[in-house]
Amino acid sequence: MQLLHSELPSHKANATSSDMTNKIDHPQLCQWLKLIADNRDKQAFTEVFSFFAPKIKGIAQGKLNSEALASEVVQDTMTNVWRKAHLFDDNKGAATTWVYTIMRNVTFDLLRKMKANKEDTLSDDIWPLAESEHTEDDVFSDHIQSRNLKGIIDTLPENQQQVVKGFYFLEMSQEQLAVHLNLPLGTIKSRLRLALGKLKLKLGEDHD
Amino acid sequence: MIKHHPKFSLLKSFVDGDLPASLAAGIAIHADMCPICQQKISQLTEQVAEASFEQDILIKTPVSESAHTLEAAQMSFDDIISEITASDDIAPAKVIAKEKLITFKGMQYSLPNALRNMELGRTAQIGKLSRARVNLGEGEIHTNLLHIGPGGSIPEHTHKGFELTLLLAGTFADEQGEYVAGDFIMLDKRHQHQPATEHGCLCYTVANDALHFTQGINKLLNPIGAFIY
Repeated sequence: MQLLHSELPSHKANATSSDMTNKIDHPQLCQWLKLIADNRDKQAFTEVFSFFAPKIKGIAQGKLNSEALASEVVQDTMTNVWRKAHLFDDNKGAATTWVYTIMRNVTFDLLRKMKANKEDTLSDDIWPLAESEHTEDDVFSDHIQSRNLKGIIDTLPENQQQVVKGFYFLEMSQEQLAVHLNLPLGTIKSRLRLALGKLKLKLGEDHD
Repeated sequence: MIKHHPKFSLLKSFVDGDLPASLAAGIAIHADMCPICQQKISQLTEQVAEASFEQDILIKTPVSESAHTLEAAQMSFDDIISEITASDDIAPAKVIAKEKLITFKGMQYSLPNALRNMELGRTAQIGKLSRARVNLGEGEIHTNLLHIGPGGSIPEHTHKGFELTLLLAGTFADEQGEYVAGDFIMLDKRHQHQPATEHGCLCYTVANDALHFTQGINKLLNPIGAFIY
């Protein structure tokens, strides 16, 4: 009892000092997640990974009592972060809460697989991730399609990209584009034709 | 109005992910029906998450090995990063799942989301009681969907362990009063109760020991104890 009492204040003091030095930079985490979502930015992912992975590993190791299983939790959690970053919605909660939910769910399913010998993944039904809502018209295959398409457009030469993006995404007419880019209409037309030829080829490759 | 809620320690274990699937699902179902607990869970999750990632948790390693281990860990982290980012697949947006229905005695009920992917056994019946086991493989913890037909009751009983009764639909009453859908009733061996329902009800039950019937002739009804457990 005596010991406990004497330990309490110093423990508290430690907690306060670390509170001050280790405050989480939430806007930064959100920004990294957005970069991952929008640009599949590997550098941003490395930052997010470096922030969370060692902590996840420590927490999981405490829970599962195994280094190998803790690594599995790190891998599964961070894979989900990479694959689901576009579903993160900072209006629905902090990035830490989102990652925590993923980690807790991964750990839960893993423990269940071991203890109950069940391959079911119930965690996402019990603790649904707070994700951005999608309306019914938001058919997923279209989402993937437009994401892929954007990626492929980004591989085009800059001057062709401009025309394609202006024409299809900003819905400008070829005439408007000619004025906007200060180019002859013929050039716009030929760039668009060239670009579409390349896109067809690339999309065709992907769709074999 | 919902009057019976999970106590704080249970909510905390829920947020920590430390409850068995049966009880975790019970809390999730309750929270879906109860904005107060939903709010508490959100706040708690936010706090726990913040606290979890606030401090650097040092993985204990012997001093002599620590430099080497750190380096190894760093290397394996780099490997994991390249492995993860090698795939450009993205996860599909959550599709709102189709409603799953379950029928007891000709009455149709919508299954709570948390139970959607759980394996349900066949429905068995004794009198006004119908039961479908939820097969979670949690050993002595048994989980059931229990339907009590109009005018039905469960004989007065106690149990050695805990018994969660979560009312999903309809109403029932015992000595403590009337219960409505969403009520989360956690009893332990100190309690005796005899729920009865006028218009019928559907419950989600989790118990870790067979029920013990306490009244005269009902002691002969031992099969019901095993049936409900």
